[in-house]
Amino acid sequence: MQPIAGRERPRAGIGLRAPHYRELIDTRPNVGWLEVHSENYFGAGGAPLFYLERARRDYPLSLHGVGMSLGSTDTLDRNHLRKLKGLIDRFRPDLVSEHLCWSSVGGRHLNDLLPLPYTEEALDHVVRRISEAQEYLGRQILIENLSSYLQYTHSAMPEWEFLMAVAERSGCGILLDVNNIYVSSVNHGFDALTYISAIAADKVQEIHLAGYTVNHYDDGDILIDTHGARVADSVWHLYRETVHRLGAKPTLIEWDTDIPALSVLVEEAQVADTILEGRHARA
Amino acid sequence: MRAHNHPAGTAAARAPGTRPSLRELQAAFADSVFNPDVDSVSHHVARSRFPPERHLQVYRNNVFASLTGALVAVFPVVARLVGDGFFNYAAHEFIRRHPLRGGNLHDFGVEFPDFLGGFAPAAQLVYLPDTARLEWAYHEVYHAAADTPLSPERLALIPPEKYPALRFSLQRGLRLIASDYPILKIWEVNQADHTGDECVDLADGAARILVSRHELQVELLALNAGEHALLTAFHAGSTFSDACEAAFAAEPEFDLTHTLQRHARRGTLADFR
Repeated sequence: MQPIAGRERPRAGIGLRAPHYRELIDTRPNVGWLEVHSENYFGAGGAPLFYLERARRDYPLSLHGVGMSLGSTDTLDRNHLRKLKGLIDRFRPDLVSEHLCWSSVGGRHLNDLLPLPYTEEALDHVVRRISEAQEYLGRQILIENLSSYLQYTHSAMPEWEFLMAVAERSGCGILLDVNNIYVSSVNHGFDALTYISAIAADKVQEIHLAGYTVNHYDDGDILIDTHGARVADSVWHLYRETVHRLGAKPTLIEWDTDIPALSVLVEEAQVADTILEGRHARA
Repeated sequence: MRAHNHPAGTAAARAPGTRPSLRELQAAFADSVFNPDVDSVSHHVARSRFPPERHLQVYRNNVFASLTGALVAVFPVVARLVGDGFFNYAAHEFIRRHPLRGGNLHDFGVEFPDFLGGFAPAAQLVYLPDTARLEWAYHEVYHAAADTPLSPERLALIPPEKYPALRFSLQRGLRLIASDYPILKIWEVNQADHTGDECVDLADGAARILVSRHELQVELLALNAGEHALLTAFHAGSTFSDACEAAFAAEPEFDLTHTLQRHARRGTLADFR
């Protein structure tokens, strides 16, 4: 089995979701690797762990967390980390990732990826927390840029600067979500290429692609990162640019709501593979 | 290095325009999400094409929609019984009163059955809290670890004179549910693949259910009164003789031999001491 990262020809992978367990194991589609939401496998037994065990025999794996709340000012949840470490020990994933966000405060979890203010205080804080998590897990993790629907008045630097500083100071890798960059660039009115250009290629170990939806209002639109549609043309375009500038990176097709037939995810991964191969051929 | 140089204080006490600490910002943000009447964070949100409130509303919608979706996934029968509008309303109140307490969404909703029991608008649906209890048990059993069952062969080797003092333990991953209402029938007629009559007569009376897993499938098994009393007593750590007494008290016609064989075959028992 080829590893996800560090290989000569990076491949596209797909998110493994419960409705596809049986079909994936039976048909073993030609995708490079699988990614799962770590927390979906925090249970003690049953179908999720059984199917992940089976799938892992045939595919390299990436564990993607959505609930660690790295940017929260609450104490880092040791129980959460312990469960994640248990999964890492059991499934030996190639990549482990989390988000550059906070999700909880005062013990209340909002189950959403909430933006941090891009200040020195938040930078110090999140760097400390990522270091603590990496130390506990005994490995590097990747941190993903999120899509956001607001900006704070007291942010002192753009998100790309904050993300790069986090990576440099904590030693984490970057999971660059190209759809999220696109969504935020439209919502906040910045140039997505400025963001991409600010990211050091050697920090990026994975790319995410997904579909967004549009909330229409009388006075304009807000893009919402729903992971419930095909990757938009504008995002494919930005992805080509990203691969051109940063090189071919393992790329994931994410789809979490209104989950379609497995074949749709495989098709989307093939499109990404084609772009990755094109880059390789040119290199 | 700190990005602010003012003394600590609460976000609510702070005048618009001053910089909140990260802690203050997060607390104010969460307050605004859970209580739309509280405007503690909008003055920290940058103006764009849209007013700050619009941006916050996106997060409010995301939070309530995702947590409501998590409840629908665990309580589909309750959702079907009350309809979308009522379920969303109940979920909204529940999320505000019993927020998620960790980063694992699978833990969310444990208090929902009790919440429904005290939720005045649902008071007439007397069977709803127990139906929710059954669905929560299903959810827990689906994710539970499986113990190695006590084999019928090992059971057969126990000398009869040892039985009275034995304490049997049940599989950790199973649940026993009892209700004054026919919740198993309610559950069955509200499954997506159910065809035929969906009417349930509440006069059908009490339900006693064993929720267990076989391979990966969760199964709901209707229990007799004696059988339920026996397993409940085992689960509570009673001796075999005390458990039998409870079973015969619950059901004078209780068939002990048949019950033990049935649960030995089903793998209900895990061990004895």
